[in-house]
Amino acid sequence: MKCGLEIHQRLDTGKLFCRCPSAIAEREPDFRFRRKLRASAGETGEVDFAARVEQEKEKEFHYEGFAESCCLVEADEEPPQEMNPEALRIVLGVAQQLHMEPFEQLHVMRKIVVDGSNTSGFQRTCLVAAGGYLETSRGRVRMSTVAVEEESAGIVSEEAHVKNYRLDRLGIPLIELATEPDIVDAEHCKEVAEKIGLMLRATGKVARGIGTIRQDVNVSTEDGARIEIKGAQELRMIPLYVEKEVLRQERLLGVVAEIRKRLGDSALKPKAVDLTPIFAKTQCGLIRKGIEAGGHVLGIKLEGHAGLLGRELIPGRRYGTELSDYAKSAGVKGIIHSDEDFDKYGISAQEDSAARKGLGAGEEDAYVMVVAQRGMAQRALQMVVERANVRVVPAETRKANPDGTSSYMRPLAGRSRMYPETDIPPIAVGKGMLEEAMAAAGGGLEEKERKLRGMLNPEMAGRMLKSRNLQLFEELVGAGAEPMLAASTLEQTLVEMRREGLELGRPREQLMELFAEYGNGLFVKAAIPEILRGMCRGKRAREAAEGLERIGGAELKRLVKEKGGDFGKIMREYRLRVDAKELKEAIGR
Amino acid sequence: MERLKRVRITSKGKVFEGLLLPSADRDFLVLKMDSGYNAGFRKEGAKVEELGEVKVDVGSGKDGASGGKRGEIAILGMGGTVCSRVEYKTGAVFPSIGPEDLARNIPGLEKICSFHTREIFSMLSEDMTPQHWAEAAEEIRKEIEKGVQGIVVLHGTDTMHYTSAALSFMLRNLPVPVVLVGAQRSSDRPSTDGRINVLNACFAAARGPIAEVGVCMHAGTDDDFCHLHRGTRVRKMHTTRRDAFHSINSPPLARVDYRNEIVEPYLQFRGRGGKLRFDNRVSENVALVYTHPGVKPEFIDSLAGYDGVVVAGTGLGHVPANPFNAKYTRSIVPNLKALVDSGIPVAMASQCISGRVNMNVYTAGRVLQEAGVFGHLADWTPETAYVKMCWVLGHEKKMEKVREEMMRDIAGEITGRSEIA
Repeated sequence: MKCGLEIHQRLDTGKLFCRCPSAIAEREPDFRFRRKLRASAGETGEVDFAARVEQEKEKEFHYEGFAESCCLVEADEEPPQEMNPEALRIVLGVAQQLHMEPFEQLHVMRKIVVDGSNTSGFQRTCLVAAGGYLETSRGRVRMSTVAVEEESAGIVSEEAHVKNYRLDRLGIPLIELATEPDIVDAEHCKEVAEKIGLMLRATGKVARGIGTIRQDVNVSTEDGARIEIKGAQELRMIPLYVEKEVLRQERLLGVVAEIRKRLGDSALKPKAVDLTPIFAKTQCGLIRKGIEAGGHVLGIKLEGHAGLLGRELIPGRRYGTELSDYAKSAGVKGIIHSDEDFDKYGISAQEDSAARKGLGAGEEDAYVMVVAQRGMAQRALQMVVERANVRVVPAETRKANPDGTSSYMRPLAGRSRMYPETDIPPIAVGKGMLEEAMAAAGGGLEEKERKLRGMLNPEMAGRMLKSRNLQLFEELVGAGAEPMLAASTLEQTLVEMRREGLELGRPREQLMELFAEYGNGLFVKAAIPEILRGMCRGKRAREAAEGLERIGGAELKRLVKEKGGDFGKIMREYRLRVDAKELKEAIGR
Repeated sequence: MERLKRVRITSKGKVFEGLLLPSADRDFLVLKMDSGYNAGFRKEGAKVEELGEVKVDVGSGKDGASGGKRGEIAILGMGGTVCSRVEYKTGAVFPSIGPEDLARNIPGLEKICSFHTREIFSMLSEDMTPQHWAEAAEEIRKEIEKGVQGIVVLHGTDTMHYTSAALSFMLRNLPVPVVLVGAQRSSDRPSTDGRINVLNACFAAARGPIAEVGVCMHAGTDDDFCHLHRGTRVRKMHTTRRDAFHSINSPPLARVDYRNEIVEPYLQFRGRGGKLRFDNRVSENVALVYTHPGVKPEFIDSLAGYDGVVVAGTGLGHVPANPFNAKYTRSIVPNLKALVDSGIPVAMASQCISGRVNMNVYTAGRVLQEAGVFGHLADWTPETAYVKMCWVLGHEKKMEKVREEMMRDIAGEITGRSEIA
């Protein structure tokens, strides 16, 4: 097994090729429009297969836009502007930390994507650097490339002929990091993803929250093919995807071997037959509804395939599921095949045998049916045949399913899917730009780790390095907060309060205020949780500290006198208002 | 066919393989890698090994006909984004695809009508001159005489409204539709608007009832229907949007929707039939100038070498006349009068674009009229007024005749009523 990772992380800057903010909207859109797309010949004259497949769906795309985050660029009504310099600086910084060599002249490319997720019909992407490596516990993992590209529009819903997208996400910068297939096993894969994720977060310039980081897994097996699994949301799932993909390829090779044994190399060339009359009075709800909606039942014979479609590849996915995924790319909901339990569908034995007869299918053959409008049904069956005639593991881009399996999305993109973005001149990368990027990266992850170890205990330093609060921590310390106190407040106190259902509305501003007042000597460390509780309820630090003011100086001396210098007693009564060290000094111990 | 070299580049100790593309910058080599990405390497310090050659299909660019015969309509290529492709040398979009390639790139065209294609110019529309209009009109006449049902002209959008106005004057009493069409998104993009524009233009030319010179472009940002605009009324009103073309001081001629086989007229129009009145004589010596605060009288004097001048005035059709002797201001009215007195016709249009010229309301307008500047009550666009002046001066030299011709409606460029909506 060989596995490489491709990591996409949204950057926390404005959009890449226009001056819109990267703001995700959660409300009704301000405007809508409708478009169609068609594949066009690339620079080298070929039309990419992946692009053509999407076009065959003949979909109309409906877009929803938002006044504050979408402009004419997102609407494909205006050319892109220059690349966001901040985004490029971040990517150049990360590239250098990974010992990569940035290209001397960067070219923005158009990657054809005609599924509607880009209004232009292409995604703008730019290769920034190549080479380099990442140190891991299992040795060096070579980095292959880093690119900066546009995020696509988010899909809202899909109907038979219409796909609905939102434009707020379109154009947000993504950094795309790819490793060579040097990852040796599932655990290693997790380690690499975590390390890269850490490095990205340490830039302080990456977006947070669900969907802002995506890991694609590239799996290659010796006799199989290269598969790109897209959209694994959670790191802990990655080992599962790799394991299941390896198994899927292994079993698929078994199916392929069996097909070769039965058929040799001869390709299937079945004719689609209209089986609608056979199902005129069917009890099968699925078929009946399809026919009532004006659809036809079309079927094809798969010669010599009896029993193969039902063969399990991985739990929950059979060879038939693979064929079904291809049919779906033509717009149908799925297929019905002869290795399925027809009783469950409500298909009678008479219907089965009539269909077999109609298709000329014998006992050794399998057959596949789809219910849809005639044109769509024909395209779907054509996709099934094309897939069934591939007698190897096909190189595919697959979609990660929540259960650890994956489904076919499209053929692995070829190079003809790319041509130059002619609206943006090439960008020369000089030495100055690289130095500036490195400086902005704050010396990188290793430097950050060294600094944290200098001001925190080793346990807290390790924790802070991985924390999503790292940037806030640096800001607080920069403003004069005690490092250990700031770290424990962020990593412990606030976490405990969250369990109580309390949260700061504006954490950055409120914590700045809290530590400033602490620095002024308004209260002692022990009072911080209580004051934070008040601040979570909307109080200012001063208000929240009422009744918790620090007792110090002359007042403390008076208290010591009053209580007869009893340290334990004073601490029990005034724990939140007296600093233990100061008290000890006052008592004179 | 074009040949590209396959090379191996060694730069800073790293090795890359791919196709060597022509580079716009002499200091860099541009490599298209097998991943599809392009990247640039400084020539200095890069080692290049040649590995072979690859043939690349860049389109034929040849003229031809669908089904091998002359078609119902003629599609004439005059350049522009609608017949464009990527040019490697500059990395820019360039007009070079022949109309045949375009036809091949537009599935569904053959279902609308049969057609033949011919390339007249391969150029950017901003490079056009009145001579190009005259030549285009001549080529269209030839096609009409051979009996086509309609003509579609593929044109760059920048000056499409100048050409449409010129053809409106040169080709009067048209027996068949002449439809200009372009694209705001180049035809190499999946999102090109050109496809729907061309399909609608071809439908209007082959099946539509309107035998006028029109411009057919997206009606809105949706990939939906198009508007057919009258050639003398239309103007490009946005640098980039699909619905950049608007009819000025008039509704569009019609809505065109090939999917529903509709050409729905919004205005009275000229129907098919009749005999073409052809006159493509044109002057190339007319100026269209913008007045502005601080415009210098000497600038007007510098126009003395032209045969005619159109002024895009402010507001109702004004220029600095300084009737109240404001300080700093210099009137240009005496200078315009001097042009008129020397036999150069001067016409007024408004830089407001929308609305009618009226030189009776304010003093500036009155003194301009007294100076012999005409255009009072014309609701033409500055561009149409300019094109008309070029055409009128092509066959009329006498000032009085020129003024009379200019102020007479010839191709829908001047109307008497300003409708509310």
